[in-house]
Amino acid sequence: MIAADQTQSWIDGHSVLANAPAWLNKQRTDALTQFETLGLPGVRDEQWRYTNLRALKSTAYQLAERSALNTELPATNGTRLVIVDGYVDLEASSIDNIDVTLGSLSDMLGNTEVQAAFGTTLPVKQHGFMSLNTAYADDGYVLIIAPKLVLKDHIEVVFVNQASETVSHTRNLIIAGAHSQCTVVERHISAADNPTHLSNVITEIVTADNAHVDHYKIQQLGDAAFHIGGVFVNHASHAHVKSHNIALGGRIARNDVHCNLLGQGAHIEMNGLVVGSGAQHVDNHTQVNHLVPHCTSDEFYKTILDDQSRSVFRGRIVVAQDAQQTNADQQNNNLLLSPQAEADCKPQLEIYADDVKCSHGATVGQLDPKSIFYLKSRGISDEQAHTLLTFAFANEVIERVQVESIRTELTQLIAGELLSGLADLV
Amino acid sequence: MLVIKNLHVSVFDTPILKGLDLEVKAGEVHAIMGPNGSGKSTLSNVIAGRDGYEVTEGSIEYMGNDLTELEADERACEGIFLAFQYPVEIPGVSNMAMLKAAINSKRKYHGEDEISAGDFLKLIREKADLVEMKQEFLKRSVNEGFSGGEKKRNEILQMAMLEPKLALLDETDSGLDIDALKVVSQGVNALRSPDRAMVLVTHYQRLLDYIVPDFVHVLANGRIVKSGDKSLALELEEKGYGWIDGLQKAG
Repeated sequence: MIAADQTQSWIDGHSVLANAPAWLNKQRTDALTQFETLGLPGVRDEQWRYTNLRALKSTAYQLAERSALNTELPATNGTRLVIVDGYVDLEASSIDNIDVTLGSLSDMLGNTEVQAAFGTTLPVKQHGFMSLNTAYADDGYVLIIAPKLVLKDHIEVVFVNQASETVSHTRNLIIAGAHSQCTVVERHISAADNPTHLSNVITEIVTADNAHVDHYKIQQLGDAAFHIGGVFVNHASHAHVKSHNIALGGRIARNDVHCNLLGQGAHIEMNGLVVGSGAQHVDNHTQVNHLVPHCTSDEFYKTILDDQSRSVFRGRIVVAQDAQQTNADQQNNNLLLSPQAEADCKPQLEIYADDVKCSHGATVGQLDPKSIFYLKSRGISDEQAHTLLTFAFANEVIERVQVESIRTELTQLIAGELLSGLADLV
Repeated sequence: MLVIKNLHVSVFDTPILKGLDLEVKAGEVHAIMGPNGSGKSTLSNVIAGRDGYEVTEGSIEYMGNDLTELEADERACEGIFLAFQYPVEIPGVSNMAMLKAAINSKRKYHGEDEISAGDFLKLIREKADLVEMKQEFLKRSVNEGFSGGEKKRNEILQMAMLEPKLALLDETDSGLDIDALKVVSQGVNALRSPDRAMVLVTHYQRLLDYIVPDFVHVLANGRIVKSGDKSLALELEEKGYGWIDGLQKAG
């Protein structure tokens, strides 16, 4: 059993994978050594100063074990991989209908592409949970898109948090071949009995030249769940990646999205939407490393907070000395629906090149009384006016969602029945 | 339709309207003219039910009922429409979505079924033609990035869609070039009907060349100081608002 606040106890639970190749065991033991130095983050760490992990640390977690899915998922005609407490559940998945390499990390450790890509996207400066992920993750999904392969339909990966008082460390890897195109939708949910589960999930995305990857992360965990996540991307030349990070659930949820623009002409779009209520705490930390010339980044995060919920946004953009002709934009807008809600927002731009265009903006505010009166003067009730304006706020991010079913789902979530049947009109 | 008696209104404890009387019957078009700060916009806002406008004395009766008891949205559902002087931009909600929500709110208020998607589209296309608004504007966010003229045309489109009994047009002409003014006026004139009343609030006589009123009232210092027909507007244009000061002193 692991007492969450003691570094040593996390380490004692560790065992080197018997069947893992040497290269992975090396990474795991190195990560563990790193964790010994880092320990679990606390409010004294600059990146965690607005995030009190007391609630997360109050549970003693056991490492989750492989188990079968005990929750019913909505039917799908598409491609779906199911991961239960960190382990791929092939029985519950439907992946035979697609001609790509998609499967379980533990089955694919012998793959040379996996070996070459694994761990290459992770930030130099990590926090303790990242090290723990590398040290402990036994499984996760691997998706390899062959060069020039264009997938029209999205691939869904459902992560189910099932066993209470356990922690799962999951490691995923997307390898996108040159000129390939794919859309991956990660959905994080809790089993019906709302377990107190800590999920620590990292997805690495490694692109070749001109690859296009649309990555969605929809975190809709139960309010007893804790989630630490990371999406880390390496961009080759002219690779285009869109990261849609939609955080709706969890008691405490932190997500890092980092990307390294390593090839000229690469583009990253980072979209984020947080909808918080109750006692939720949602953190988003983004980092874009412009390392070579002619790359573009476009970041747009919106947060809606009700009740006593809190959010943190940190957006760091680094433009290296050689990264001339960079065009980087970052926007973070926060809407507070309750006087008790709190949003902390920290844009950080570090620019070492002299011929670049970088802009950023951050706002924290409430619904505009002028807009509310405008809608009411058209016959719309006070409550509906609030709903419509809250939706309007979110919609600028929702509009960027390319998958229609997700757009509809988010519209429904925020606007309820108010805009039903208006999918084409809004 | 609308009977205002001895109306006193304060905004943030500052008295703006000080004993205003006005009666508007169905089918009539009234113009309220007056210099800046005379209380023109306060009058339209207080009828529409904007927060922060406190009626301290007097009454506003609409269709025989005390209007001040109703919330802004209830007034709209009862048939009152305010065309804003400065229409609000709402990024993220399309014109169509807002109008459909508005029409359905009104229908629900009157115990009617929601409008079907087909009927709604037919209606909005027809009304958009009235103000020469291109279809693409309907899908755009409410007023976002619209020019001054486009915003005012959008107000008239909304009015056409909601078919009010009493329309208040607050400085609808201000800032418009002559072409936009003509389009807006045509739209308004097309909506004149025997069972609809209109109150135009304006600073300039020019609007009244295009929308000819039945009555003209001059508002000064929170009261109506002179009423007449359309010739009063011309007289006012000729003599200037300085003339009003004289009238007040004489009165």
